Amino acid sequence: MIDVRQLPTPDEPEEALAAVVALRRAADLLERRAVRAALKQGWSWAKIAQALGISKQAAHKRLSDINAQENPS
Amino acid sequence: MLSGIKTRLSNVRTIKTLCESAENYALQDQQRQAGAEHFLLAAIDLPDNTARLAFREVGADAAAFRDAVGAQYGEALRAVRVNAGEHISGGLTPEPLQAAAGLYEAAPSGAEVMKELAANRNDHRPLQGAHVVAIVAAMEHGVAARALRCMGVDPAALKTAANKFSRASNRHTGLTGA
Repeated sequence: MIDVRQLPTPDEPEEALAAVVALRRAADLLERRAVRAALKQGWSWAKIAQALGISKQAAHKRLSDINAQENPS
Repeated sequence: MLSGIKTRLSNVRTIKTLCESAENYALQDQQRQAGAEHFLLAAIDLPDNTARLAFREVGADAAAFRDAVGAQYGEALRAVRVNAGEHISGGLTPEPLQAAAGLYEAAPSGAEVMKELAANRNDHRPLQGAHVVAIVAAMEHGVAARALRCMGVDPAALKTAANKFSRASNRHTGLTGA
């Protein structure tokens, strides 16, 4: 759980902006891993999109290259 | 005139190599578009060796830049009390994205590198890795700047060193370094 009180204050913009970039990247990685796991378990794109809170088209466009059989290390 | 044409052809080949290599680094880094940090990694790999020489001039090992890219992500997450694990916070993971079809498109910081290279193309005789190092070292913010800081590299000194080696390359086109 992220404690918002611990987030860098606006007087530390360099640190705060670096954290934003790193969090976005971490979220992207987590999303790809979660989608791969869902596909492996037989989830449909409609179900994945609903869980991510985006349209099926958007989910497919951004994540359709994910192969359920890939085994990331 | 003939040497001018040869240099231009060589520069086009180098740009192609830089773009392809930067894209590969970006895909390994889970990003579809290459940023300045990926262009710097690509420049370090160029056979002219001038990028590596510029890093060596400031007491740094260019090979450490790749790890520094990952380290700065981890550092940024720790600053907000997030411990996401090495494979999430780290820079380059073992599961690259697949290249997308269509036109080549760089991330904004990567596009800035390309724009600077294009603006200074008449000074590239030929284009070498040190030219890319000088451009990236001049960037104050972003992943590449933070990664250089993680390595303890003074960007101004690195830019000076890169300019030195790119000037040397203009005088001696056979520069190989060691």
